[in-house]
Amino acid sequence: MNVYHPKLTAGLWLAGMLVICILGGQALTKDWLETSFLALLPSNEQQPEIAKATRQHNALLNRKVVWLAGAATSHEAISHAQKLKQQLEQSRLFNKVVLEFPQQQYIRQYRQLFLYRYQLLDAQTQAILATNPEQLIRQNLEMLNSPIGQMQAADLERDPSLIFSRYFNAQNPVKLNLEQGIVVLSDRQQFYALLLAELQNERLQLDKLEILSNLVDGATEQVNAAGGELLVSGMPLFTAHGAESAKQEISTVGIGSSLGIIVLLWATFRSVRPLLLSSLAIGSGLLAALVICVLFFGKIHILTLVFGASLIGVADDYAQHFLCDSFGEQDWNPRKGLKFILPGLTLGLISNLLSYAGLGFSPFPGLQEVALFSAMGLLVAWLTVVLLFPLLLTGFKFDHQPGILKLTSYWEQHWPLWVSKHRRGLSLLLTVFIAGGLWMLTPQDDVRLLQSPPAELLRTADKIRSLFSMSPDNRFFLVSGQDQADWHQNEQRLLQRLDMLKQQKSLTAYEGLSGYWPDVNRQQQNYRLLKQKLYDSGLLEHYMTDLGFEQTAVKAELKQFASAESNTLALMEWLATADEAKQQLWLGCDSGRCQSTVALTGISDAGALTELQDLPGVVWVDQVEAVSSLFARYRIRASGLLLAAFCLASLGLGFKFGWRNSVTIMSVPVVSLAVSLAMLGWFGQLFSLFNLFALLLVLGIGVDYGLFFFMAGDRRASTSLGVTLSALTTLLAFGLLAISSTEIVHAFGFTVTAGIVAALLCAPLIGLKTISSE
Amino acid sequence: MILIKALLLYLLACGLGVADEAVLTEIAARLAKTPIAQGDFHQYKQLKVLRKPLISTGSFTYDQSKGVIWKTLTPVVSLLLVNESKLLTGQGEQAVPAAFGKVFKAMLGGDLAALTDGFNIAGTDRKTSWQLELSPKDEMLKKIISTMLLSGDTELRWLEIREAAGNVTRISFDNVTHPLQLTEEQEADFERLSP
Repeated sequence: MNVYHPKLTAGLWLAGMLVICILGGQALTKDWLETSFLALLPSNEQQPEIAKATRQHNALLNRKVVWLAGAATSHEAISHAQKLKQQLEQSRLFNKVVLEFPQQQYIRQYRQLFLYRYQLLDAQTQAILATNPEQLIRQNLEMLNSPIGQMQAADLERDPSLIFSRYFNAQNPVKLNLEQGIVVLSDRQQFYALLLAELQNERLQLDKLEILSNLVDGATEQVNAAGGELLVSGMPLFTAHGAESAKQEISTVGIGSSLGIIVLLWATFRSVRPLLLSSLAIGSGLLAALVICVLFFGKIHILTLVFGASLIGVADDYAQHFLCDSFGEQDWNPRKGLKFILPGLTLGLISNLLSYAGLGFSPFPGLQEVALFSAMGLLVAWLTVVLLFPLLLTGFKFDHQPGILKLTSYWEQHWPLWVSKHRRGLSLLLTVFIAGGLWMLTPQDDVRLLQSPPAELLRTADKIRSLFSMSPDNRFFLVSGQDQADWHQNEQRLLQRLDMLKQQKSLTAYEGLSGYWPDVNRQQQNYRLLKQKLYDSGLLEHYMTDLGFEQTAVKAELKQFASAESNTLALMEWLATADEAKQQLWLGCDSGRCQSTVALTGISDAGALTELQDLPGVVWVDQVEAVSSLFARYRIRASGLLLAAFCLASLGLGFKFGWRNSVTIMSVPVVSLAVSLAMLGWFGQLFSLFNLFALLLVLGIGVDYGLFFFMAGDRRASTSLGVTLSALTTLLAFGLLAISSTEIVHAFGFTVTAGIVAALLCAPLIGLKTISSE
Repeated sequence: MILIKALLLYLLACGLGVADEAVLTEIAARLAKTPIAQGDFHQYKQLKVLRKPLISTGSFTYDQSKGVIWKTLTPVVSLLLVNESKLLTGQGEQAVPAAFGKVFKAMLGGDLAALTDGFNIAGTDRKTSWQLELSPKDEMLKKIISTMLLSGDTELRWLEIREAAGNVTRISFDNVTHPLQLTEEQEADFERLSP
């Protein structure tokens, strides 16, 4: 490298950063932060229609927040809920806050569907009519004579046989108790008034999530103060919690590693310049990474920033190496320093970029972001060191021997000797340790590890579910057919089987459109069934006369029935009368295929349900299971990737330094990887796909350290200082990740930390051998 | 009945009641005070659209903590079980109609504390009998029931429900007794109500 033009390169750097700042000014003014947990998951790769169904199935779920205001009496519970409703409306977070039962909507629906009453029959009524129509009459008498039959009695004039009343009630199978028009639930000790709220937007911005959390906390306090109890649950709360803990972790990791670096640098250099320069390298790296990521992905996930914060510790390495090198020679200047460290720095950068590129190969949007963020951050930090530092370090000189240098020199000299003296015992110990740890390692591929909500939130969700089981499971069936008739037939077959499973208590409820809307054939069948069993047989006339209807009323009913023969209700007309939860079951018809979803509630035996996918046109969709199995597949693929990266690095080193030396250098990452894995085993830590990605980093860092020591030659003391400092800062960053409450972030931090410690212990053993052999 | 007494005191304290306080106190003093009541009923339901009334008879059981068994024997045998949060009929579990589970149980048990939540109460007390008139406060319930009349002496003897649609239900209670214990059959019926 004979090209050394500090001013020119500094100018280049400045121009580049200017471009980034301008781009950043545009990119970061938009809404660029993603907080939704679902954004981290890969969309279904193979089947776009399943992905579409899943999105539609989740859409409502992701916006819904369930509030239960509890008190000793229903009266108090309702008054808590009424106050709460006002608060929620004032917050402007929600586009819909439902407390009173939407009575008008039901009346409208009743009127619209009433015209088709002879075509619409619920499954139970169909069965009774077909087998034992007298039973229907008996049940009517029972209802009319019951002291609570007011509603039915009121319907009697319009609907003498009460068949429409039966159909209409079957449409809303969950029996909810209403008081003052408000749903009141009870668990024997408390009464709870139900309030449902829907957020305006499926993906809330961070500030809105904070408002939501504050709203929940404030309202809970108020209701508690009034002697009540407030239970709140819903996907948005989990998202809000995730975002909040991520925010805390970003600041912990960010502040923690920044402080650590400042202390270390100050202790080492006792000068402001290195501090400022390091901050400049890190700052430019992070800024560039953020801007490029937002430009590339459109949005950046908050969890990426948690990983990004750990980058502080890694990006600092290059600056430290440069700075530490100044201790290596009496007559040091930036030109000499750069010349000496550039090959090592460059190789280090390449191996780091390679390992991050590995992350980019994963199908997870989150990890792709982490990969690009980290790679860009490192690249720009490296560029800053290489392009800008020569100019800014002009005339830089230390006149002190830092205490830490003595320490690392001592360490670098004595540790290898000690190891070599005890190598038999140590290698036996290491072998046992590694073998034992690997033996205990058990992989886990559960997607739920991505999210670690606090126990309290889960307890509340469980309690709400026990009181109010209307939220469907995230597993569902996707039903399709060539046309509407085919689809209807397929779904009906599924619903029949589901009904059997419901009776066996495999699930508590299911909901499919065909259960409410009979297709055109079925509507005609229903009409014929009524005609044959009730009207033509004279049973209805007999019943009406016995009950005391006027003869004119009987005649009018018979006439209405006769004139309704040709009525048909199209699916779209039916859907227009239904509520949103039912509407979203329909996925539509396109290119010779009609599709719907069947929602399930209270699943207790998933095994029995999965067997139903043998039915024609039926697919069982289990998002959690699908992603978990994806995790498992990619865990195996990532192992291959790790191996490939390992081979690539060995080959590269082999070409440059010869095979023997390549093996020597690679022994550092090999031991680090093994120790890291063994630590996971010994500590019973999570071992999943994400640890493998962490191991990719360990590989990169291990190669770095090995390389630095291998190339140190007579500058072992300054190299040791550089490696130790960079290891300490990296440890700080990833060690702080290990305290994360999100399982995967924790696992990532733990794995890297264990690997770096091992690399730090192994690396000094390397250069020494070459020296002693020379 | 203790609860009626408590209710009346509550009414006096809150100033909620529109009933003459002396009247309510007297009625409360007259009612038999036991946790269990049972007897026969005779229900006469006049629906506007029907030329003749629907008449049914049967028996009822009230248990202060467990709820009400309403057993219709004629014209069709059927069983209705209700407490404050659950309603079971021959056709399975149903929603308890607006404020009805409470009302039903409260009337038979004389637990008017529950009724004040939902009704305005007016009353008269004569030498041999008393009468209370309940009109719902709840807008939704108002659309179904316009007024309810209760009358009795030491027991509730007569109940009339006037529906907004013009239908009228009259129920008379006879042979009311206050056993100390439920029979096995009654216990078994109540068992079905427990969650």
